[in-house]
Amino acid sequence: MFNEYNPINNKEFQILNHKGKIVDKDLMPVIKDDDLLKAYKDMLFARTADLQIVSYQRQGRIYTYPPNYGQEAISGAVGALIRDEDWLVPAFREMGAMLAKGVTLKELFLYFMGYEDGSKFSKAKKTLPISVPIASQFLHAAGLGYAIKYKKEKDIVYAFVGDGGTSEGDFHEAINFAGVWKIPVIFIIQNNQYGISTPTRMQTASENLAVKAIAYGVKGIKVDGNDYFAMYKAIQESIKICESGEGPVLIEAVTYRKGAHTTSDDPTKYRTKEEEDIWDEKDPLKRLKSYLITKKLWSDKDEEKIVEQYKVEVDRQFIEAENYGPYPKEDIFKYMYAEMPDDLKEQEKEYERFLEWKASRSK
Amino acid sequence: MRYIFKFPDIGEGLEEGTIVEWHVEKGQTVKMGDSLVTMETDKVVTAIPSPRDGIIAAKFGKVGETIHVGSALVEIDIAGIDGEAAVAEASKPEPVEEEGAGVVGTLEVAGNNAVLSASKEGLSAGTAKLEKSERVLATPVARALAKESGVNINTVTGTGPAGRVTKEDILRYISDSTKSSTSQAQSKENITSDELKLEIEPLTQIRKTIAKNMIQSKHNAAHMTVFEEVEIAELDRVRKRFKDVYSNEGIKLTYLSFIIKATAASLKKFRALNAEMDMERGNMIYKKYYNIGIAIDTPKGLVVPVIRNADRLSVKEIAKEIQILSDKARDGKLSLDDMKDGTFTITSYGSIGGLFAVPVINYPQAGILGIGRINNKPVVKENQVVPGLVLPLSLSVDHRIADGGETTRFINTIMGYLADPVSLIME
Repeated sequence: MFNEYNPINNKEFQILNHKGKIVDKDLMPVIKDDDLLKAYKDMLFARTADLQIVSYQRQGRIYTYPPNYGQEAISGAVGALIRDEDWLVPAFREMGAMLAKGVTLKELFLYFMGYEDGSKFSKAKKTLPISVPIASQFLHAAGLGYAIKYKKEKDIVYAFVGDGGTSEGDFHEAINFAGVWKIPVIFIIQNNQYGISTPTRMQTASENLAVKAIAYGVKGIKVDGNDYFAMYKAIQESIKICESGEGPVLIEAVTYRKGAHTTSDDPTKYRTKEEEDIWDEKDPLKRLKSYLITKKLWSDKDEEKIVEQYKVEVDRQFIEAENYGPYPKEDIFKYMYAEMPDDLKEQEKEYERFLEWKASRSK
Repeated sequence: MRYIFKFPDIGEGLEEGTIVEWHVEKGQTVKMGDSLVTMETDKVVTAIPSPRDGIIAAKFGKVGETIHVGSALVEIDIAGIDGEAAVAEASKPEPVEEEGAGVVGTLEVAGNNAVLSASKEGLSAGTAKLEKSERVLATPVARALAKESGVNINTVTGTGPAGRVTKEDILRYISDSTKSSTSQAQSKENITSDELKLEIEPLTQIRKTIAKNMIQSKHNAAHMTVFEEVEIAELDRVRKRFKDVYSNEGIKLTYLSFIIKATAASLKKFRALNAEMDMERGNMIYKKYYNIGIAIDTPKGLVVPVIRNADRLSVKEIAKEIQILSDKARDGKLSLDDMKDGTFTITSYGSIGGLFAVPVINYPQAGILGIGRINNKPVVKENQVVPGLVLPLSLSVDHRIADGGETTRFINTIMGYLADPVSLIME
């Protein structure tokens, strides 16, 4: 499959087209109906939560937030295949994969409210915290992959970056290193067409992003990232490659960020309504839904009912996070060093004086 | 219980936003997540959803007004909410505020509570004249008005949110006290009637931008203006001939389309008029693209969308572009892309009126062409006085960039094209 879809030919791997029709029967992965339905529902839950978080942000109840809207199939497919023993190295637009690993919405809310505890996952194993610095995730993943190989373990690392991240030095260093050491990492580029406002065509002169794999001597593939089946199959094959010691793999998942880069961004300033409409047709949930409806596994009524339940659940977890209580002072100062250096101690004292002053003022 | 929803910082370090549209009315029931108001900020234009279920008790600010981050936007009556939400409501820690900002400026916030007692809207003011020792809550407009009118603001009862003293409170106080103290009536009356004649409105975002740009242009460019008249009977004949044909295709063929075409063709011949000066680096920047801005009058103020590569467009294509941009301008739909990268500007005030003007350059461009009202008047042709159709032109240039000779040669070229439109297609 990786030979057939050699990225040098710029052929995008697709199984389910945007009309909900199977276009490549031979490569269709075998997924039980129940599992498929669960995957769809997970993506729907992530989307419901995502839209609601943007609303919370506009209400002033949560800080800056980067929406996942439109990119759910990538995280959805990873979520369906990642095992407890595998590592997840998220960037900041992988809610579905994080939830699949066992991160709770409440924990994600805490993160976006600024709590350190938002990075302390109570249930999710082997999940790194959200890392905002662009492409840093790939370096973390390369380190984990190297450790796995060194310890002769069977884990696989899933790491994420955006299209903008492919222009960073970290991207190069990580994949180059991973290629040399043949470590079990699945590097996933979520090519959502924009690095904030920079379109992909301004990001690279390469034909596509997957083609960069060739230079590193690793397997690469360009996948329709809005096609759940294609993503699922591509990851399944990548797992096999990693397990046979022939990793890493670079997947370019072609998708579209239907929302803004973050809540501080206004995409109408750099893209057209026409473009958004074209991509709306290719929406990952729409097409899987129409497939499920054709197979009589799902209906609009089912969806309406479950979305209402999801909304209530999202609100419930959000209100729990909102009532989490005051932010402990130690969280700001204590966790970077085993022993706090003098200048940091000085800063802590200064902060204490500020809090005293503030308290005296409000009396 | 009433909940004051303060305008949140929705975009990393915002200071203020302007109300674009209200989506709720006073007395309306809202659910959490329902759209309250659309706000325009430096970062985004977006709807602000309600953070609570309840009934709208008050809205603070009219369309076009600026609201500072942290100041009251909406008051929601959240009484009577039962079940889980109310429990969560009660246990929610109140946000601690250091200071807030008012509708049009900074003001004090009563205590640290986001949930305040019901506002005293509708209560008559000016009755309690006990002096309060603490600084009262008041809008800056009210403070300024009180100071000007010699009213001690601490003696005025506020009817705004959280007992805030508003402009209306001050005016009511003044009129009450003039009624009661007839001895001072004469002098007071004069002051108050003058005050009543003032209407103070906060600057809209667009007005602030226009003011900034105008000052920047007048400050940096050395303005020089030349006036001319051109006889356009031939152009008028051509326009009339094609007007109906175009109109069948839904295109309005205006004089402006020809003027833009003529200007673009002339700019290609006089590069200084399509340049800008970078004094810091000591460079002149000549642009090899010809993007003509057209000044459009909208109810909200002046906007200047840009017709890109006007030199490569036909008159028909230009006419089409003008229509698209004017429609967008009228609907307030212009994007940043529609308005950036202009190299020269045309302002056609003549469609409203006025023969000549001294247009202000759209800095850092080198020139702006003003189009006056086309009028019928006698002209001399071949020693005969005949009726003519005359178009007045006013060209302002930045004299740092363009010299007098070049400027007049440039306007002569435009006039040549307009007098003999066939020459335009011969280019």
